[in-house]
Amino acid sequence: MLSNKGQVIERLLQGSFICRTTDEEGWRFLKNPANREQVDDYLSTLNRLVASVGSGAEAEVFYCAYRQLGENERKVVGQQFRDVCNALTPLVEWLLLVQEASAQDAPLTEGSPIRLNELQGIVEDTPAFREQLARISHYRLFGSTSASVDAQIKQVFKKLCDMGYLIRPNPEKQIYIGTGKLDYLYEVIRFIDEAEGLALEDRAEAASQSSLL
Amino acid sequence: MSGNLHQAGVRFLRQLGRHAEPIMDAYLAGSISDEALEPGVQERLVKDGILYRPEPGADLHLRRTVRALLEEALKDDRNRQIDANTGATLATFRTLAAHYTEARHQGDFAAADAYLSDLREHVYSFCEGLGHGIRVLWSRINNEFGYVGSLNAKIRENELAQTQVSEMLAGLELIDFQDLADTAGDLRELRRLLVTSLQRSVSDAYLELGVVQARLLDLLGRFRKIQGRTRLLRGWSLHVEQQPDYQPGQHTALPQMPQLLNLAEALLAPAAVDIHDSVQEAELLALAAQVRAQRDERALVALPEAGETLLGEVESFEVQASPIQEAVQEYLCQVIERGQPISALAWRAEQRLPWDEETWLYQVIGGYEALPDEQKDYFELLPEGEDHPVFTGNFIVRDLALCLSA
Repeated sequence: MLSNKGQVIERLLQGSFICRTTDEEGWRFLKNPANREQVDDYLSTLNRLVASVGSGAEAEVFYCAYRQLGENERKVVGQQFRDVCNALTPLVEWLLLVQEASAQDAPLTEGSPIRLNELQGIVEDTPAFREQLARISHYRLFGSTSASVDAQIKQVFKKLCDMGYLIRPNPEKQIYIGTGKLDYLYEVIRFIDEAEGLALEDRAEAASQSSLL
Repeated sequence: MSGNLHQAGVRFLRQLGRHAEPIMDAYLAGSISDEALEPGVQERLVKDGILYRPEPGADLHLRRTVRALLEEALKDDRNRQIDANTGATLATFRTLAAHYTEARHQGDFAAADAYLSDLREHVYSFCEGLGHGIRVLWSRINNEFGYVGSLNAKIRENELAQTQVSEMLAGLELIDFQDLADTAGDLRELRRLLVTSLQRSVSDAYLELGVVQARLLDLLGRFRKIQGRTRLLRGWSLHVEQQPDYQPGQHTALPQMPQLLNLAEALLAPAAVDIHDSVQEAELLALAAQVRAQRDERALVALPEAGETLLGEVESFEVQASPIQEAVQEYLCQVIERGQPISALAWRAEQRLPWDEETWLYQVIGGYEALPDEQKDYFELLPEGEDHPVFTGNFIVRDLALCLSA
């Protein structure tokens, strides 16, 4: 059997995000600065290090990053960033759909559960949500070609699990839990917002106030 | 006087008890209409100050004090009234303290006692009020303002709670202990009440309010973070709607690339199994068993017939006796030959038997005891020895003699 450290290193090198929901033991292990340093030391031979969303004691999601960026590394990172950007719009629309359908103030984050059956029921009963789901599921990211809500929503959830945004703790139940990768996604949006000066929050605020008027 | 008060209070409480149903209705619904009450009851309740009519033509409402009593007793979440009016209370303290001092100076001890107990009541209720205010704040923090639905409402509630905390803190700052100590002078009772006991509760309240404030800020931060994320999502979706072909710039090409975008490539592919590792044997076998189960079923071959089983007679065999047992047998035969007692140790010496004395004696006893009953009856075992010198009931055997029984 691999030690805790070995498992953490393996998962990091597989490109996984380690958070409390996906791997609580590994997450606790990395929360300890001494352990994190050990893993860092090991990864340094592979030109990698442990990166985290949030810094210091507030680090909640861990992943593997390059220590030094050469030509090749930049190419890889650039490709990954393009992939994330291409996935952003479908994911954002899906997150909004889930939030609106479940009538919640908080968007889906790490650790929040979704019951597929309930969500499906609500979406089926509401024509606007049905249209939204059809549009989302036909994005290339999700790649559904089906016309039925059932197949669309299942395809979307399956893809999200494959990409690591959701996990399904019990394969016999239709309950999914958001992972730390969602938190990473929010950080990426925030970064783009700040770097490009999009003022997304102000825009949303203005839109919600004008709708109130 | 106090007898009258007592009676009046009991009557008031009975009144409350008797009309518990309409009062609770009014508490839960906020008001109660005129039709719901009989005119007589209504008049009595209004006269006793339990219900009142805020404006002509309006429904009847519960008086603030009765409502506060119920909120406190029921630990109701909707209770967010906090009394932070410390200034007025302090003025009362000072006035009563002055009355008390004056009465003491004039030697009117009965009046002084009355003033003191009045003052004590005020100080205690002030401290209780502080504790209550903090308790109310905590109960709201602990369920994260769960009694309002939307995030914006929660943020507003949080802000309300923060202003209440600052008001309470400002109120506490009004308390000048130097001033109170001067007011108390050298009167021991006053000092204990106005300085010692008040100071203790006030410093406790300070501590607790600090913690409450930190928690409130913490919660507010969390609410704002959630709100910020929702806004980000909405903003992004609006932005993409307005500019469908929007693509973020090449941030990864910048020399100072943010750590956030630095995602390393997945490096590890699943490893292959090592079939030479005996530690994994159990798991591998289980896996192999699953693999076979998925293959096509092989044609069943009938099992070959089993051969016939024959039961034969068991061959006889002889148990080899050990040499010491044979020696005992010989000894017994000699006893029969000679027809007189033979000492076991003498026989051992005579035959030069190799076993030590004790083993030999035990073996003789064992051999004698092992004889079938009818054979045993022919012999008699005569132990020779003495009682233990100290412990009675113990017999130490020195030698044995075996003879034919008479």
